[in-house]
Amino acid sequence: MAKLLDKQRYKCALGAMQTVQAINRALPILHSGPGCAQKLSESTGSSGYFSPNIFPCTSINEKDVVFGGVKKLDSTIENALKVIDADLYVVLTGCIPEIVGDDTGEVVSRYANSEKPVIYAPTAGFKGNNYKGHEQVIDAIVEQYLKKSETKQEGLVNIWADVPYQDLFWLGNIRELEKLVSELGLTPNTIFGYKRGIDNINKIPEAQFNLLVSPWVGLSTMKKMERKLGIPYLHCKTLPIGATETSKFLREVGKFAGVPEEKVESVIKEHEDYYYYLIERYADLFLENRVINKQFTVVADAQYSLGITKFLVNDLGLIPAKQFVVDDTPKAYRKLITEEFKNLNFEIEAEVSFETDGYKIHEEIKNHDYHGYPLVLGGYYEKEVTESLKGNFLNISWPVQDKVVFDNFYAGYAGGIRLIEDIYTVAVSRFN
Amino acid sequence: MSYKIAVGSSDGRNVDLKFGEVKKFIIFEVEDEKSKLLEIRNVDTCETVADTNGCAGYVGDCNSLGCSGNGSGCNGSTDVINKVELIKDCRCIVCKKIGFQAQKQLERKAISVFDVEGIVGNILEKIIAYYGKIDKHK
Repeated sequence: MAKLLDKQRYKCALGAMQTVQAINRALPILHSGPGCAQKLSESTGSSGYFSPNIFPCTSINEKDVVFGGVKKLDSTIENALKVIDADLYVVLTGCIPEIVGDDTGEVVSRYANSEKPVIYAPTAGFKGNNYKGHEQVIDAIVEQYLKKSETKQEGLVNIWADVPYQDLFWLGNIRELEKLVSELGLTPNTIFGYKRGIDNINKIPEAQFNLLVSPWVGLSTMKKMERKLGIPYLHCKTLPIGATETSKFLREVGKFAGVPEEKVESVIKEHEDYYYYLIERYADLFLENRVINKQFTVVADAQYSLGITKFLVNDLGLIPAKQFVVDDTPKAYRKLITEEFKNLNFEIEAEVSFETDGYKIHEEIKNHDYHGYPLVLGGYYEKEVTESLKGNFLNISWPVQDKVVFDNFYAGYAGGIRLIEDIYTVAVSRFN
Repeated sequence: MSYKIAVGSSDGRNVDLKFGEVKKFIIFEVEDEKSKLLEIRNVDTCETVADTNGCAGYVGDCNSLGCSGNGSGCNGSTDVINKVELIKDCRCIVCKKIGFQAQKQLERKAISVFDVEGIVGNILEKIIAYYGKIDKHK
């Protein structure tokens, strides 16, 4: 019996065109039906170079299902190379060509000697969601484009975080992570966003190590790079939000990179001093217990669910109700992530549910006793249910409807302060 | 359930005619995934259609060079409507090339368009396998 999924929080793997789009001057070439890109392109913001959903597409139809679409793909790639000025062309396959059995790899290999690199990522929807698609794109870059480097640049660190555009704060977050890492005296290298691109991709093999800041997205790629390019990786499972986690993060990175302890501690001290100065100034607000809710729930992908839960417990001293991870985390990673939810200060443990069905999540929220009004941080889907419970709601994960984010961020010390601002803005506005 | 396939071929072996060039359609009937030649349907000359439908405005198109040199054999819209009407009981049509307007008219009658070149037998085999999968999928 077919199952309906209520209020899903992700798209199909072809949504990885967002990932390509986030790499400046990289162009997705779609080998898919004509409606796929349109359906997937509603996220806000374009690449700044190409339009968000006007990509070369084979627009395959019934005829290509019966007779194969490789000819069309070949001419689409050929003409895209002629007409569109990009640095990297990434062919993404949809469900249809993969079911029919088009050998995309073979067609793409014909362009091995073209002036600009052409690679391909199998992103059929039945292979997984856009988190998986994101991994496929990075995989494709590693496997088909990058070569092992003999020379290493001392202190160069590749930083990888969660999925661009799917994560509303992706740009701000990755810049903030870059900033923190560079304060340790290391040189960050990222491939997404403004003034990053093919040059940064070319630098990947020279890095001293890879830094992955995500509970699970990209972990398999890190392992692949370790094997193929000989780059070791450091896996920080929690997106550092606020002082507690960010200081932990800096110590971990510092230790892994061999940065002197005094240096790390001086960076931490400077940040923490300012962070707690701000907190202290508003101590009245935090102590006024009528303002903020006693218990909270986060409904988001693993990255924010874990990151925000840690922040609200460790830094703000709130009590977690049940937390929901909605990104369809692969089963292999679930145990590890569940453990992380138990790794909180004050011996508090958070219960977590890997649930993708919005209806079930909302039923659980409605049936939980929050000892007052709930605080719910989630996607726009949670707005209505939170309002019906007279709770406080903040839209922090996809889908986002009531917020415009250019380069705001929640990562790091400053990000923690931003999140406090946002939460308390919601909380205090109900009394005014 | 049986269905029919219309083929544009000059010799019955190769799909080698554009939609506009077809003077007679070869109709195959498919039953239990086996095809057999059913009949040949001759395309009426467009004068008769123009007469019967009374669309005198289109007569000028007939047997002229076609729609402003848009490929050989294109005989204007009357010809298209005439041909679509002739094969309206077919599930799909196989021709070397089919113009955009003709495709739209065929779509309106829910006739699938396969504009491919090749040997009739091979092409039919693929189409029959495809429809077989669709029909068996309940």
